[in-house]
Amino acid sequence: MTGPHHLETAPSSSPAGEASPSDPLVTVLAVHHRLSRRWMAVMGILATVTVLLILLCLRVGSQPVDLIDMVHTFSHIIVPDRSQTDVEIGETILLYVRLPRVLLALLIGASLAVVGVALQALLRNPLADPYVLGISSGSALGASLALSIGVGHSLVQQATVPFWAFVGGIAAMAVVYRIALSGGRLPVHTLLLTGIIINAVLSAVILFVTSILDPTKLFRMMSWLMGNVPSPDFATLGILAAYAGVGILLLLRQAGNLNLLALGEESAMTLGVDVERVKKTVFVLAALLTGAAVSVSGMIGFVGMVVPHMLRMTIGADHRFLLPASALIGGCFLMISDTMARTLFAPSEIPVGIVTALIGGPIFIGLLMTHTARMNV
Amino acid sequence: MKRRQQGILTGMPFMTNLTSRTFIDDTGRKLYVATPPTRIASLAPSVTEMLFALGADEQVVAVTDFCDYPPGAGRKPKLGSTKPNIETLVALKADLILAPRAFIDSTVIAKLDSLKIPTYILEAKTIEDILSHLHTIGRIVDRTPAATRLVAEMRNRIQAVKQRTALLSRPRVFYVLNSEPLMTVGPGSFIHQLLELAGGSNIGGITGQPYPRISIEDVLKQNPDVLIFPAGPSEGIPEQEQRQWQRWSTLNAVRDKRIYRIDSVLMDRPGPRIVDGLELLANYLHPSAWPPSSPAAQ
Repeated sequence: MTGPHHLETAPSSSPAGEASPSDPLVTVLAVHHRLSRRWMAVMGILATVTVLLILLCLRVGSQPVDLIDMVHTFSHIIVPDRSQTDVEIGETILLYVRLPRVLLALLIGASLAVVGVALQALLRNPLADPYVLGISSGSALGASLALSIGVGHSLVQQATVPFWAFVGGIAAMAVVYRIALSGGRLPVHTLLLTGIIINAVLSAVILFVTSILDPTKLFRMMSWLMGNVPSPDFATLGILAAYAGVGILLLLRQAGNLNLLALGEESAMTLGVDVERVKKTVFVLAALLTGAAVSVSGMIGFVGMVVPHMLRMTIGADHRFLLPASALIGGCFLMISDTMARTLFAPSEIPVGIVTALIGGPIFIGLLMTHTARMNV
Repeated sequence: MKRRQQGILTGMPFMTNLTSRTFIDDTGRKLYVATPPTRIASLAPSVTEMLFALGADEQVVAVTDFCDYPPGAGRKPKLGSTKPNIETLVALKADLILAPRAFIDSTVIAKLDSLKIPTYILEAKTIEDILSHLHTIGRIVDRTPAATRLVAEMRNRIQAVKQRTALLSRPRVFYVLNSEPLMTVGPGSFIHQLLELAGGSNIGGITGQPYPRISIEDVLKQNPDVLIFPAGPSEGIPEQEQRQWQRWSTLNAVRDKRIYRIDSVLMDRPGPRIVDGLELLANYLHPSAWPPSSPAAQ
């Protein structure tokens, strides 16, 4: 993927893809047309790659499946095969274990990458990632408490760990928002600092819980914190898909505003953006997506940090491209990482966060080196 | 010639000294205990259980927050739940500290050594280790007859389990150590030994790791006949978890409803109650080999 770089200037030439009344209509339409053709091409390629990668990830595992068997299995969903009473084990594995897991990895990766892009734009800080605002620590604390004191408590036992993780994430979001809000405004520096401090405080509380926990229960918490992509049933997957899908789409709609925000808050304001509203919207959406992602899969690092930067280097900084491309590439990245996590040391697994860092790091460094080399030429 | 003779002669008194009241712990440290200790600090539930089982409860002056068995252990002064504070240990004026290796830092051991507080470190890797620990602790606290009796009884019960299950086919068993992420036990873990000893074939064995994460794909492929869920005292298998497993209707264990809970303390404490855990496991794995009066499955 070595796309042209001229598009990096696109946001200033045609911000938000909307026509401002002073521009000659013809130019605007021409630019718009060219952009949308390019958009279609890029997204078409990425979507195709994604589908191919889904098929690839479905093939590998404890029970390798070839393509014909896969088609055969999927045909059974549409036309249930009543002739065989005993469901074949390979079919169960492919349909009910691997498929939901691969799709969930795609969803989580997409959410994390999109949130990463949005927060880097919102905070105007390249180091921002989904975990910078303290929401993930809130989720982790919720999960830790549920795992440690929850055992034996009927109230806590009824709901699951992801539920309490989500509650923790939302609570952290509310706290960060309240603290950072001053006079109806949400200054990004205050927001960033609040997030970092809340992160530190909550991490200390998590460590405290860890230190007083029964050593025989400690591993549960540690392994939860290390990150893991579960294999949900289809109902759960459906709910998660709807939730993440709506969240990602709402963030995608902010692409134009984020482009303008990149020029600075004053410039964006003079161009007619309700800056405070955009900031609050992006913050809340990012927090809700992060909270959900962490609740489901624990802390999976690197996706929300590396994927946005990789794409910025290859397809440019226009958020109308960057956001959807990050969703697809972030999804693919986590999907491949999780596939490796479950197959590399089969029959045992390793935490997926280790894989994302060990793969993402070198790829990122490689890209960075070729990028700077090209810049110097 | 002459020199060698001398060597034997000087070595002899040393040897006799070693065998009387000197003990070597599992880290190879030598501990000389002239008289049976009267103020013992136990740094783990398993150690507390061993001391109480040997009738040395009077001598125990402090236990951890997690020492909940037998009931008398809960009434002893507490050392807290974190790793022991060195000042607390010194203030106890304990004349013996008993700790499993995993529960104490090597820096703390070094400090205790320099303060001349007798510390004995235990590391149980096998069931045989537990028996030998009971024996040694019995000798240290001067309860050798009780220890001999207890060890003989435990050995008999283990032997009985072995005999009853020896000729039976070994059901495939999966131990659900944790469900999200899915983890189990494998070779090198204590529970793996118990599962195999109880006449089962542990599915986690294929991983070759003591506490591996494992994919549900592999569990489905291996198709366990029995699922075992460890749980805290007076708690069942969480409903949520049961529902999760009901999804996998192809599993023999789900189809035949052979899903059992077991008190996790019977499995993960290398103490005298390990044999209770073993018998319970054997019972779940081979219900036909036990009389119906045995503890019922869930």
